[in-house]
Amino acid sequence: MKMSPEMIKAQENMKPGVITAEGFLGEDDRNLVDIILQDEQEMAALKLDFDKVAQKLKKLLEVGEKGLGEPITYENFEIFVYEARGFLACPFEDGIFRKKVAVVKNLKNNETIMYSDLSIHLLEKHHFLQGKGSKFRLDPEKIKKVLFD
Amino acid sequence: MNIWLAPLIVGIVSSVLSALIVIVDSIVNNYGEVEIDINNGKKKLKVKGGSPLLFTLASENIFVPSACGGRGSCGACKVKVLSDVGEYLPTELPYMSEEEIKENIRLSCQIKVKKDIKIQLPEELFNVKKLTGKVVSIKDVTHDIKEVRIKLPEEINFKAGQYVQIVVPPYDKIKQPTQRAYSIASTPSKKDEIDLLIRLVPGGIATTYVHNYLKEGDNLEVIGPFGEFYMRDTDADMICVAGGSGMAPIKSIVLDMYERGITNRNVWYFFGARTEKDLFYVELFKDLEKKWSNFHFIPALSEPMEPEKWNGEVGLITDVMVKYLENVVDKNTKKEGYLCGSPGMINACEKLLNEHGIKDVYYDKFA
Repeated sequence: MKMSPEMIKAQENMKPGVITAEGFLGEDDRNLVDIILQDEQEMAALKLDFDKVAQKLKKLLEVGEKGLGEPITYENFEIFVYEARGFLACPFEDGIFRKKVAVVKNLKNNETIMYSDLSIHLLEKHHFLQGKGSKFRLDPEKIKKVLFD
Repeated sequence: MNIWLAPLIVGIVSSVLSALIVIVDSIVNNYGEVEIDINNGKKKLKVKGGSPLLFTLASENIFVPSACGGRGSCGACKVKVLSDVGEYLPTELPYMSEEEIKENIRLSCQIKVKKDIKIQLPEELFNVKKLTGKVVSIKDVTHDIKEVRIKLPEEINFKAGQYVQIVVPPYDKIKQPTQRAYSIASTPSKKDEIDLLIRLVPGGIATTYVHNYLKEGDNLEVIGPFGEFYMRDTDADMICVAGGSGMAPIKSIVLDMYERGITNRNVWYFFGARTEKDLFYVELFKDLEKKWSNFHFIPALSEPMEPEKWNGEVGLITDVMVKYLENVVDKNTKKEGYLCGSPGMINACEKLLNEHGIKDVYYDKFA
């Protein structure tokens, strides 16, 4: 799939060492449009709606913050939210986000996802779930298992 | 013959272009020697122009605090600039308040030294050292916090409560050095050895290195001391609150006070953890309570695993602190707050302390 100049710039920003040390792409060497398209198809196949997933992720992060830096149990989730000093810019260059990270474990199946404020924005606004192998990738299968099982 | 000709021509053209880029770059970006005037002539440095101020100062052994090592993502390396260095860059503005922009505070990792420049720096930064220490011990104090002891090649003078930055070398897929700030957990009386408490955070570059790669006997670069978090020299009662590895500076402050005989002040130390397995140094502080009548250690668990066996406080540390402020601590004395932990914990504590009439609250807000 052809890449627009904006997409080319965003993919450049996603490389290791530009915004974060490890970048956003993991070992994924596909172009950004292909990564997004395939994840959109997977999300649709699993009947996952980007906006609903984003709302759920926001809610769990908000609850996790009440743990004041310690893990907290909420419904069938264990949530640990931590924050580091500073901000991260969105690789699509449309905002900056605090370095707030949530680790959410579904206590029924022990599946875990890790995401940040920026991850939610990337999922919601750009349908970008990060490249395969990225530490912060929100894999559709994993999203379903952790959030909706 | 023709098979070799095309790659050969491409190779020659590429080499010529590369050489041309190097020559043009050295001409265009050659700013020659420039002067950095610090604190109105107190220090004058002659340096090679062209690099960011943060790195130029570091090359002259002046280390401005930076939690990200100059990537422009922490906003910590702020410096007041007294001369014109051009417009604010888009990478600086998110970190600046209106007040700071009026004062011409700039991010030293973002502005380049292209001509003579005048800046203002806190005098204590002149005492900051960059040292290569040796890791002499690594101990698990909980399932996810390690106590790392570093032997330094020379003595450093620090105030209890201050922090150092460690330089994590490239490892695994991490291709560049990373700097992170950690509070010193040992006391200033030990000048050639420091302890750090480092909690493993999922996905954390520096903490993953410390927990999974760093070994006893390894060298580790340390820059410091930094920070405005230390005991104020007053008679006020101290309300100290920490969680997890936030234990480090409070431990340093409390033990330093005891070592120096500053035992006339009431110290209330609220330490928050989730379960019994997240508690550490409990014996140390319980022993201190026996020796120092004005010291009170209150560990609290938010989710004890065996509530029937746990005879301490239960609940979030903020709730426990409020309970004590309202029912146990003498309301008629002047008080100061000393906090270390997550930004969320600090914000919540500061608000509650303020609501209880405690306005002097000190902290270093980093995770």
